[in-house]
Amino acid sequence: MPRNGKLVRITLALAAAALLGALAVTSAGAAGKRSAGTLSGAGSSLVAPAVAQWSTMYSADTINYAALGSGAGIKAISARTVDFGASDAPLTKSQGQGCHGCAQIPWALTATIPVVNIPGVGDHQLKLTGTVLANIYLRHITKWNDPAIAAINKGLNLPNQNIVVVHRSDGSGDTYVFTNYLSKVNKEWKTKIGCSTTVSWPAGEVGGNKNAGVAAAVKSNPDSIGYVSDFYAIQNHISIARLKNAAGSYVLPKISSIEAAAQLVKGTKIPANNKISLTNPPKSKKYKNAWPMSTFTYVLVPDQTPKAAQLKAFITFALSPAAQSAIKKLIFAPMPAVVIKAAKKTLATIHS
Amino acid sequence: MSTLDATAETARRPLAGRRVHLGDVLLQLVAGAAALYTLVLLGLIVYKVVQGARLSMSTFGLGFVTSVGWDPVHNAMGAGSFLFGTAITAIGALLLATPLAMGVALFLTELAPAAIRGPVTALVETLAAIPSVVIGLWGIIVLGPFLRDHVMPPLHSALGFIPLFGPYSTGSSIFTAIVVLTIMILPIIASISRELFLGVPGELKEAALGLGTTRWEMVRGVMFPYARGGVAAAMILGLGRAVGEAIAVTQVIGAGTNISWNLFNTGDTLASKIAESYQGYTTNLEGASLFYLAVILLVFSLAVNLVAQMIVRRVDRRQGRAV
Repeated sequence: MPRNGKLVRITLALAAAALLGALAVTSAGAAGKRSAGTLSGAGSSLVAPAVAQWSTMYSADTINYAALGSGAGIKAISARTVDFGASDAPLTKSQGQGCHGCAQIPWALTATIPVVNIPGVGDHQLKLTGTVLANIYLRHITKWNDPAIAAINKGLNLPNQNIVVVHRSDGSGDTYVFTNYLSKVNKEWKTKIGCSTTVSWPAGEVGGNKNAGVAAAVKSNPDSIGYVSDFYAIQNHISIARLKNAAGSYVLPKISSIEAAAQLVKGTKIPANNKISLTNPPKSKKYKNAWPMSTFTYVLVPDQTPKAAQLKAFITFALSPAAQSAIKKLIFAPMPAVVIKAAKKTLATIHS
Repeated sequence: MSTLDATAETARRPLAGRRVHLGDVLLQLVAGAAALYTLVLLGLIVYKVVQGARLSMSTFGLGFVTSVGWDPVHNAMGAGSFLFGTAITAIGALLLATPLAMGVALFLTELAPAAIRGPVTALVETLAAIPSVVIGLWGIIVLGPFLRDHVMPPLHSALGFIPLFGPYSTGSSIFTAIVVLTIMILPIIASISRELFLGVPGELKEAALGLGTTRWEMVRGVMFPYARGGVAAAMILGLGRAVGEAIAVTQVIGAGTNISWNLFNTGDTLASKIAESYQGYTTNLEGASLFYLAVILLVFSLAVNLVAQMIVRRVDRRQGRAV
């Protein structure tokens, strides 16, 4: 008899201990999430290298950033599970409403670029036009030695091989920039596929998860083509293709060509939501050097947040000349002064 | 009389005639609450998933289940290709894994020298412990390219007339997903089968051998029939794992959204589509459609389980009559 009672007592004691432990963990978790000294963010994998660079330079707060993809960043900030989100694609109308009062602030400038893995073709050698790129992704062009590709690549030894087409399988800002550009240069693309962070790809393509997944798929599959953020191509040593801009020159995604595309904002009024598209700059001598798939990338913050002061300090730092030039080595171009000004104006509206 | 004996005596006494103890009541309450908790949890999950899918259900109706394509830009989404992908990968993996697992189990119970039985058994069980994300990573980097370079070409040239083995181009394919799933469910089926084979009474085996059968005839005539129901159950467990596996499949299947009988093409499954898209969906309708996929996955898994239980029961009954 005494034994039974003891057993029950032990069970109860254990249960109580477990309950207390669970409570302690929960409250510690809640406190940890909002404690002073850290800012947590999530989203765009394109901007992730820049945020990582900034967080090593920034000492006022610890920055925890999770590169989950732009779509995930928008979701995270809408649910307020992070202090800031990051997206390469500006918020759509329904996303803006879903975010319940979020400001989108441009904080970095870079590019999405086509990368290839063709045996016998080196870095910077392959030339592509928007139309050819669209036709490859629409599967109208299926072989590397297709006349349309050969005509603009005289002297290159293009194989008689099927093109392995790689795209992003998750919701992605790079997909947004890529499809935004192709929608501007190809009518069929615009009506059939459209422009979004997730689109319906024609049959037979290969999906890769995040920038790293696309880079891995391109690297491991000979005769493949994909698109990634500039930095990921360089880091993974994948061959970058030249792209013909509207002005007619075959350009490479360099800081100078991204800056050239950003000239677009000069003399225009930046809208209140800071939505600026840099894809396919018009046919003009001014944009002779411009990379056609350049993009601003945005930080998303709630209009009203208890961490307003901390967020403002961090984003002000990110917009500073020191921070902007520190990420040049990661192939981010410094943002034009008018955009910095517009960004600061929006930032000033954030309050606690 | 020692305390131990007294306790044993207490335990044997029927509950009805007992004085009610506070401790017993509490124990019953705690255990009952724990059981209730799982039920409530299951109910809440089902409720939440169905609620999340409501927008998509009212927009697409039942047609969603069979329609093919995933186009959030034009609001046209369907589960057809994902259902197809789930079925073909799970069945394919089961077809590959079952004979292999039988071989492993037979080897470990009947054929292997005693000295290596222990280590090999442990290794097979370790295979089950590898996290799926690790298998997936290995699938992208090693297995996919290997299959593309050394397995798909001979299969295509020898069996290319069958639509299943059509043209190949990448290591990301339904076929790669099948092989990855095979690796994941093999240890499940093998270790359960091994237990079942160990449970075959020695007298039966010896009697068969004594009648002059070969070892294979003994395996076929005695061990397989004896373990049949259990092996069917093991296969179902494997099938359940294959249907629900998301991460490893996402990594190797290549996210295609069309139905293709060519195993070397890319495809997608219900679970992997949810895993790859849930964090980054764009429209509310796409989000709800992902929930709809989850509803279908739930129903699909439930159906698989029910059918499985029926098979096991029927096999058991037939066996009961035979023995």
